[in-house]
Amino acid sequence: MHVLIIEDEKSLHHEVQQFLVQSQYLVDSAYTYAEASEKIFVNSYDFVLLDLGLPGGDGLDLLREARSNDRQEASFIILTARGAIDDRVKGLDLGADDYLPKPFSLLELQSRMQAITRRKFGLKRQELTFGNGFQLDVTGRTLRYHDQDVALTKKEFDLLHYLLLHKTRVLTRLQLGEHLWGNVLEDDSDSNYIDVHIKNLRKKLGQFAPADFLETVRGIGYRMAGDN
Amino acid sequence: MRLEAKLALFNALSKLLLVLLGAVVIPPIVSRVAVSHTDQRLHEKRTEVLQLIRRDGISTFVQGEAYADYNILKQEYITLTPLPPEGGHHPHPPRIFDEPRQVDNQVEDFRILSQQFTSGGRNYRLEIGSSLATVELLTDTLRRMALWVLVIGALLTIFTDAAFAHYLLRPLRLLISSKLQGVHHPSAFSYTPLETTTTDFRRLDDSLSETMRRVQTAFEKEREFMSNVSHELLTPVSILQSRFENMLQDPTLGHAHSLKIVDSQKTLYRLRNTVKTLLLIANIENEQYLRDESVSLAAVLADVTNELEDRLAQREISLLEELRPDYVLPEANRTLLFTLLFNLVSNAIKYNRWGGSITVQGRPEAGGYRLSVTDTGPGIAAQHLPHLFDRFRRFQAGASAPEGYGLGLPIAKTIAEFHKALLTVESTEGKGTTFSLLFP
Repeated sequence: MHVLIIEDEKSLHHEVQQFLVQSQYLVDSAYTYAEASEKIFVNSYDFVLLDLGLPGGDGLDLLREARSNDRQEASFIILTARGAIDDRVKGLDLGADDYLPKPFSLLELQSRMQAITRRKFGLKRQELTFGNGFQLDVTGRTLRYHDQDVALTKKEFDLLHYLLLHKTRVLTRLQLGEHLWGNVLEDDSDSNYIDVHIKNLRKKLGQFAPADFLETVRGIGYRMAGDN
Repeated sequence: MRLEAKLALFNALSKLLLVLLGAVVIPPIVSRVAVSHTDQRLHEKRTEVLQLIRRDGISTFVQGEAYADYNILKQEYITLTPLPPEGGHHPHPPRIFDEPRQVDNQVEDFRILSQQFTSGGRNYRLEIGSSLATVELLTDTLRRMALWVLVIGALLTIFTDAAFAHYLLRPLRLLISSKLQGVHHPSAFSYTPLETTTTDFRRLDDSLSETMRRVQTAFEKEREFMSNVSHELLTPVSILQSRFENMLQDPTLGHAHSLKIVDSQKTLYRLRNTVKTLLLIANIENEQYLRDESVSLAAVLADVTNELEDRLAQREISLLEELRPDYVLPEANRTLLFTLLFNLVSNAIKYNRWGGSITVQGRPEAGGYRLSVTDTGPGIAAQHLPHLFDRFRRFQAGASAPEGYGLGLPIAKTIAEFHKALLTVESTEGKGTTFSLLFP
């Protein structure tokens, strides 16, 4: 996967780059409008991560320009800290694939990229298998253990799915909470809702097989163990 | 009362006054006119009679006896009476007076011209009388005609004046209906100049547009400012958040440092939410959000309970939903309404007792539609209630209450105001708290 990061803020640019490189993406960089415009014209990318406030121009113009170029088939994700409400609407109207307001979680960015890829390649049925016999049907939103249905609530399903997408990574309660409740502003960061969700998940999965793949990292968060 | 109605009312009243004044003033004038008209006729007749006497001689009329001539209906008479030579009767100029006279067997009031003159060495008295009843008849007719003309004239001018005022005030009506009513924000204001030849309205329109332009510029500046502030505050937060996330992925990081980073993440999260809350409130107040959907409260509430079902289950809280009937807001923003109801219900969960209940009630009311969210929590002390919606004021709502009244309620209040709803709170310590929204 070839990704172009267009971001003039060097520190943020660097962090996103580091994360994506670690996640096995091939990363290219642009810091200004002109630079980005040229790279989009010359190269072909799978993803363009686009900041809106760029030196030399507005990211939305860059998006418009890229969309008029037939050879450029990249998926655009807008990353912006500009507060204007209509940026989102404008961006999506101009053909952006997603919109992440800053500050965003890198894990959230990665899962959005995965979702776009899935959409793009028309993967109708996507199943994630784990723990020796569990199958998570992402499109049908069901969990099965061999032939038996495991009933999950909406949030439990989302939580499990997110953990599976980021297998082997330690996810903090905040990162999990932000994924589950991202669209609402909440200020009780110490909420134990995640712990309760995990407890319930373990209980439900444990009825079928030992749920020891769902690990607790003391004081930090949770991790889905990799297959071994 | 509208200006046009006031003008019409004043106009009608002044015309009525005029008619009344006419009713008082016209009769005496008319009688005077009628009397002087009668007097003039009497004088004319006198002149004619005297001319006849001079031409034909007095003997044609008077032979010893007095001469009298009446018309058939006894409305007029002429008498010529010879006067005895002695008795100090001197010729005198004509006098006019009212007196009763007997004509045949009837006594009637007459307007009488009397003159004494000398003819052929003898004195005579000439009397010409006109029945006062006739005079009054004339007076009456004149009076009635004058009043009718006055009344019809008054009515006619009332209508023409009202029509003219209506025509004149058209630009003002247009100004009110197209530029003032329904303009909640300068962006909704129409700057097309008003079509009018009236200088006052022209000036009013111009200064209104000018003011609106200034307000709009101020709004736009604030909007730009918010966008810049937003960028300046959120970019560093974004950098730190990404950096912490990357650091946590580092396998060489020790456990103690990981804990510190998680802690920093929490601090950063709080900062982020504070900034985002401020920006959200500022953006709502700056009318950055659209109100262009019709939204059913029941549907939004269903979304909210769907999001919160796990939390309800975790604390074994039962939620009772009674919207009778549902209410559909004609002009609303669904996302914001979701946030509003989410905050109210999630607060009702947070501040409830284990195994308690939440009642969401919706009822039409005299002033609109009331939606209330009632919990069975510890309640809020009376002294805290007035400050509940203040931004960034924190206090302990109960011994074991979690923090967080700080942000959710000011947001809820702002969103309620954005939808012209009134958000109020009632609480009884030990029993629970009710937040109600009154939609107009």
